[in-house]
Amino acid sequence: MCVMPLTPTTRPVAVRSLLSIVVPLYNEESNVAPLIAAVQHALVELPAWELILVDDGSADCTASVAEAIAMEDRRVRLVRLARNYGQSAAMQAGFDQAAGGIVISMDGDLQNDPRDIPHLLTKLGEGYDLVAGYRADRKDPVITRKAPSWVANRVIRWTFSVPIRDTGCSLRAYRRELLDRLHLYSDLHRFIPIVAAVTTGARVTEVPVRHHLRRNGTSKYGLSRIGKVPVDLLMIRMIRSFRHRPLLMFAIGSLAAMFVSFSFAFAAFASSLEAPATSAVYVLPAAALLWLSLACYLLLLGFVGEVALREVGQGQRAASSILWEQRP
Amino acid sequence: MNSPLGVLESTGFTVAPVKAAPADQVEISVIVSARGMRDAMVELCDEFAMPLRHGELTFEFLFLLERGSAVADSLLQRAARGEPVRVLYAENTVSETLLLQSAAEYARGDILILLPPRRRIVASGLLALIERVRAGADMAVACRSRRQFKWTGRLRSRLFHYMLSRVGGGSLDDLACGVRAFRRELLETLPLYGELSAYLPILALREGFRVEQVFLPQHPKDPGAGFHGPPLYIRRMIDLLNLFFVLRFAEKPLRFFGLTGAVAVGGGGVLLVMLFVQRLGGQPMAPRPLLLVAVLLLILGIQSIALGLIGEVIVHLNAPRRRPYRLAGEALLPSRMQAVAGLDRSAQP
Repeated sequence: MCVMPLTPTTRPVAVRSLLSIVVPLYNEESNVAPLIAAVQHALVELPAWELILVDDGSADCTASVAEAIAMEDRRVRLVRLARNYGQSAAMQAGFDQAAGGIVISMDGDLQNDPRDIPHLLTKLGEGYDLVAGYRADRKDPVITRKAPSWVANRVIRWTFSVPIRDTGCSLRAYRRELLDRLHLYSDLHRFIPIVAAVTTGARVTEVPVRHHLRRNGTSKYGLSRIGKVPVDLLMIRMIRSFRHRPLLMFAIGSLAAMFVSFSFAFAAFASSLEAPATSAVYVLPAAALLWLSLACYLLLLGFVGEVALREVGQGQRAASSILWEQRP
Repeated sequence: MNSPLGVLESTGFTVAPVKAAPADQVEISVIVSARGMRDAMVELCDEFAMPLRHGELTFEFLFLLERGSAVADSLLQRAARGEPVRVLYAENTVSETLLLQSAAEYARGDILILLPPRRRIVASGLLALIERVRAGADMAVACRSRRQFKWTGRLRSRLFHYMLSRVGGGSLDDLACGVRAFRRELLETLPLYGELSAYLPILALREGFRVEQVFLPQHPKDPGAGFHGPPLYIRRMIDLLNLFFVLRFAEKPLRFFGLTGAVAVGGGGVLLVMLFVQRLGGQPMAPRPLLLVAVLLLILGIQSIALGLIGEVIVHLNAPRRRPYRLAGEALLPSRMQAVAGLDRSAQP
């Protein structure tokens, strides 16, 4: 990961009337040309748009195919990443390059349909900051894709109470103001509507979109997501609740550990009265001490979190990153 | 960055009798980190400057020494004669990475060469490295061809590089050689700290820079891969561990700590359930030391997950300040260059 700060020169000045479509691409050489043609066809009635293709370090000819088309159509731009960083970074790169006041993201595998973009824009016009597509008739394998996704989406809705039933669909529309507050890293691209709603307070909704079978190339997703998603959800949950007060989170954990410690201590006391000669006299107090040490440890970690918040978080309190202006 | 380096003396940039070059026209800066060295560096300087002179390159040698080093005197005599030799000093406690980054601020060339104080490759090899960088590579790494080591040294080297390739990717054959030529931008772009400068080629490869390995003849005086004692090998193992973590989990610490924590909590939970079932069967739970093991595992797991959460807080707070990608062919922005350097290079002493 490059430690390069964003400066005003890295992000173009937003043009309100412009629509930007961001498409991360990784080894999609056979899909690039049909994708661009589909976008051109779908947006023929829109006055001003740009298509930003982000080549995420493809090993095939994705970049050269896209570059050739970009030479002919000035609305198409190619952004090449130095290596394969993953979809979150690629999407962030596209968002950073997008100049439009409204930005659309979609996959490059032609499973999303650009003809749904006008529907997203109509919904966005109702005052939302993010409109997510949900695949009403999803054309993916059941075992490896649909079933894990179904479970994950239920867990996400239950955990965050955000009215999104398909967080995995990449076809979404965003207002520029929202993207200026979102900072994607790791694998956060999977949870953009959730992160937007719970960490920035964005107004989020969804509309049904089409979904097609993948015709060319191979899928980049696998079952490895199953282990990662719960960890990422825990992280988002924690970030939502405690990013401004880490000591509180760890103090709650510390209190719980202290409670367990006292329970063991009480059991040890009771055990010593009943049968003073058994090894319970040693085991139970030791367990109580271990839990007590955990309570202290968690409390100390909370202080570390506060120090991190103080040191790293200072200077990030711009009103524009916290407040939203209510539009009529 | 506050530079930990001091300039003992710095004079001319011209190479007598080569035509004098202004400060902003120095092409190559050769950095020799020679702290703790007792060998005469003048001979090394003369030997490796020779091919650069013949190649009609404008260059300078920067020697990084500790304060009061006996090696400095002879070098300073050369500098006083107007030869392109500069001597910088730093305390011994400064890490090699910080030393290198600071030296790069003093260096005037656009291509930097790292040259170990002990001879590893023949001097003419520098030209081959420079040629590769000029041809478009971001970094050229010297690899000693047909190394004349004992079989034990070769075995250790192969084992180390195999582990390195598993951890960091890429397939470098001779990281220990230490002779590298690279564009200045590379050093300013990579997230370096601690002792990571030793693994500069690996980090550069990971960030998508073009790194080329150049096979060069071994220097006849190369001491080779001797046995360095356990502390060095322990350090190397710790370096590999560090690389493993930094390259995979620096951006998502909860993945690492969460996994280890989940394993520990799972183990502790299974033991507790087992004890509980046995308790229902009439076997008392309290006097059994296994209860302690279960509690210990649970606590270790919770500690690990808590550490991961703290890591995530830090990563999240830092997210607005950094960019998780680098564009192809992109170097740092000029504003960033100035911020990093904190000084105007042409105005240096």
